[in-house]
Amino acid sequence: MAGMMTTRPFLLKRGFLVTAALGMGLILANPVAVAGADIGPLPTLKVNQARAELGKRLFFDKRLSGDAAISCGTCHKPEHGYANPDALSDGYPGNKHFRNAPSVINAAHKTVWMHDGRIGTNLNDVTRGMITESYLMNMDMRIMQERLKQDPVYVEMFKAAGLGEPSNGGARKAIPEYLKTLNSEGAPFDSGNMTAEAKRGLQLFKGKAGCIACHNGPMFTDGKAHNTGVPENFDVFLDPMRHQAFLAYAAFLGIENYMNLKRDPGAHVQTHAADGSDMGKFITPSLRELKYTAPYMHNGMIKTLPEVVAFYNQGGGKDRNKDSRIKPLGLNAQEQKDLVAFLLALSGKPLTSSRYVWTEGYPQEYEAIANWLDVPN
Amino acid sequence: MSSLKKTPVLIVATAVAAALSISAAVAMGDKPPASAHVSTSQAAPTPAIAGTFAKAPDPAIPPLAPLGEPPIPPDNPMSEAKIELGKLLFFDPRLGGDASISCATCHDPEQGWSWAEDFSRGYPGTVHWRSNQSIINAAYYDKLFWAGSAPSLEAQAPSAAKGGVAGNGENDLMEARLRLIPEYVKRFNEAFGEPWPTINNAWKAIAAFERTLVQRDTPLDKYLLGDKSALTEQQLRGKALFEGKARCILCHNGPLASNQKYYNIGVPRAERWLEDGLAQVTFRFQYYSKGSTEELYRKAKDDVGLYFRNKNKWDMGKFRVPSLRYIGYTAPYMRQGQFYTLEEVIDFYDRGGFDEDGNTTSYPDTKTPLITKLNLSDEEKEDLLAFLEAFTGEEILMAKPKLPGYEPLFTLAELEAAQAAK
Ligand code: HEC
Ligand code: HEC
Ligand code: HEC
Ligand code: HEC
Repeated sequence: MAGMMTTRPFLLKRGFLVTAALGMGLILANPVAVAGADIGPLPTLKVNQARAELGKRLFFDKRLSGDAAISCGTCHKPEHGYANPDALSDGYPGNKHFRNAPSVINAAHKTVWMHDGRIGTNLNDVTRGMITESYLMNMDMRIMQERLKQDPVYVEMFKAAGLGEPSNGGARKAIPEYLKTLNSEGAPFDSGNMTAEAKRGLQLFKGKAGCIACHNGPMFTDGKAHNTGVPENFDVFLDPMRHQAFLAYAAFLGIENYMNLKRDPGAHVQTHAADGSDMGKFITPSLRELKYTAPYMHNGMIKTLPEVVAFYNQGGGKDRNKDSRIKPLGLNAQEQKDLVAFLLALSGKPLTSSRYVWTEGYPQEYEAIANWLDVPN
Repeated sequence: MSSLKKTPVLIVATAVAAALSISAAVAMGDKPPASAHVSTSQAAPTPAIAGTFAKAPDPAIPPLAPLGEPPIPPDNPMSEAKIELGKLLFFDPRLGGDASISCATCHDPEQGWSWAEDFSRGYPGTVHWRSNQSIINAAYYDKLFWAGSAPSLEAQAPSAAKGGVAGNGENDLMEARLRLIPEYVKRFNEAFGEPWPTINNAWKAIAAFERTLVQRDTPLDKYLLGDKSALTEQQLRGKALFEGKARCILCHNGPLASNQKYYNIGVPRAERWLEDGLAQVTFRFQYYSKGSTEELYRKAKDDVGLYFRNKNKWDMGKFRVPSLRYIGYTAPYMRQGQFYTLEEVIDFYDRGGFDEDGNTTSYPDTKTPLITKLNLSDEEKEDLLAFLEAFTGEEILMAKPKLPGYEPLFTLAELEAAQAAK
């Protein structure tokens, strides 16, 4: 197996620790502090480099989708923080998606994934879900495995990664390993280089604005689902290309009377509260890398960060299930700007170099195995 | 062979010799071992085979006959509404993964409701591994597909729409699509009396449509129904060969020209697997997805056919006898389209199940003794070819129907009202 390495130089890591300590002190002094809410830098992840390299090639390889038309990178775009600039994501050809494609930067630091939190195990499962879901990549993984085995580059890379011959299991290990290499790097908050404006924003974040009640920990998320009253994106229902994917999703997850559903159920797909009080709850997203990942919210309904802050300042949206902590904040114009400055200080440098993106291309055709009759399949 | 004179005496002599060698081969075992209880319909050659070559037709072998009405299953009765709906669905690419190909893309009416390449085209990004089968007269088979893996048209349609190298569709998504097409909502309701389209009813409608795709007025049907002018002299000579010296009737018999049993007749491995990377991908996928043992997956280099279904060693390389009806439009022939012309097919049978390079089945142990050298003269081959043409009538063509479009299910006003009530 190729050597293990850490994703970041050690020196930087020490810088993070200083920031973390400062952050904790501030939280303790703050009335809305929540247990375990210490914001700070992300822990460093150990990465198996050979596996990550393989995962990188897989992430951008269109042959991982049923008709070989899209890759993970088609929806999770490096130049948009591995999120998508469209309010609602594209889907597999033949349909479109009903939610915003979130960033996958720092995804390896999470314990719950998807806007509705329906995957709470590991990135291996998320990867399988993405590849096999009919409205995402619609891939029969048994075909995928045989495609990989037909590419001599993969045969070499799987071997180098200690994964034997190309297999589904191996691919589902390599992609999460690659995701571990996508971490916030050099965010002013982490490196202790925040502007005065951002520092004031941090105070508001933890104080008057109360954001920290939900956006806490190194990922700025409590990993829980809340209703903030974000309005529906009507395109989900008015565009049959999206509505069909939404219906398939709702049918599969056992939502009653889904043909009549006119809102995204969110975490209701998990908790199924009979009174519907869990309708419209979404997992608190991370606030890292927001600089690149507009538009915002599960359905891309808010286009810019100032608008997000204005949304919170007015007390969120209208919803009887709305969390009681979402209420008018009374922030003045400068305070709102400060808060935005702080949010931007949580974004690092773009991860668009060939260190993160597979730039070497892919073969146009499947090369035939020359001595096919003589070698085992 | 060409030196053989076509005299009645010689024909009888050849036939008797052939019959004798068949009996011998049968004794050696074309049948499964007696100890095994097999439920497949593997044809056990009947002792009556010798009788085939005598003048009187043997009752054990159903004679060629005019094709009747296709059987209709009691749980899916035909109706105009259902058939019309089934036609639309058959042509609708939204019953598939990326909504780019329909049943009719692969089963193209202009290519004999089939696909005119050795391997069928596949789902985008794939190629299939078998030759495409025509839809015409599929309604008469008890079991569908080359190896008979689907028990009915209703059961066949979903495996076609969902299979990874065919439609690659998924039930929930395909059903959702149908529900967002108001014209379908109306038509499903008319055909099935249910409020929303369901995917199972879609398969039923397609099956009903397929039961209308039959051909019952070929020259052969006309002849057998009494129009003695429907076949030429040459075709009649060919018919006699078919039922006699060439022994085609042993398997291609009854109204469908198929006894619907399974044989290994010696068709060699498709060369394409040796040269085409994409085809190699699908080849392994087939073994992977059909639940093979590790050993079989690693070692397989040809299509084991019926063996996939029951894992009996003696069924390696056996395939369902296809009908010979409509074959005028459905070249190439055999399970992987090994032969592009009927001339090649006849030569293959004449050589006793070998192609022109002397290649034969990858599973010689299971090859049927019913296939042996025929010693047909060139003239006889032409006669037989002329007769094979009598199984095909007018080309059945159909224009792609205009497909209804999606519409939003809700109005903006309804959505706004729901939003306001949150
Ligand atoms: C067709 C667009 C599309 C493709 C292709 C795609 N994704 Fe996604 N991805 C999404 C959308 C949309 C979501 C959010 C889905 C939801 O919440 O229901 C998502 C969610 C995720 C998440 C969870 C993020 C979080 O924080 O909860 C991860 C991780 C992820 N995708 C990784 C991948 C990987 C790896 C691949 C390739 C194997 C991939 N995606 C392919 C659109 C796509
Ligand atoms: C009650 C918990 C809660 C509080 C308090 C809260 N948020 Fe959120 N936040 C959420 C949830 C849940 C979402 C996702 C909502 C959705 O997608 O519909 C979210 C979404 C966001 C997003 C969008 C992120 C993205 O990637 O789309 C931003 C930015 C944000 N919040 C910032 C803030 C700020 C700034 C504050 C304080 C003013 C704040 N939040 C207070 C729970 C909360
Ligand atoms: C990608 C091409 C493709 C598509 C799409 C496709 N088929 Fe097929 N079809 C084939 C091939 C190839 C076979 C033979 C497969 C085998 O035996 O393994 C076949 C076999 C059949 C048969 C069996 C005929 C017989 O003689 O046993 C029927 C019936 C059929 N298809 C109907 C359909 C229907 C209905 C659809 C649409 C729901 C459909 N097909 C879609 C390629 C396709
Ligand atoms: C022992 C049974 C048997 C006999 C006898 C037999 N066939 Fe066949 N025939 C088959 C089987 C089984 C197949 C399919 C084999 C495969 O694809 O591996 C087939 C395939 C064919 C095909 C290709 C049909 C298509 O749609 O691809 C033609 C044409 C044909 N036979 C004609 C004949 C003729 C002519 C004779 C007599 C010379 C004959 N057969 C004798 C069993 C038989």
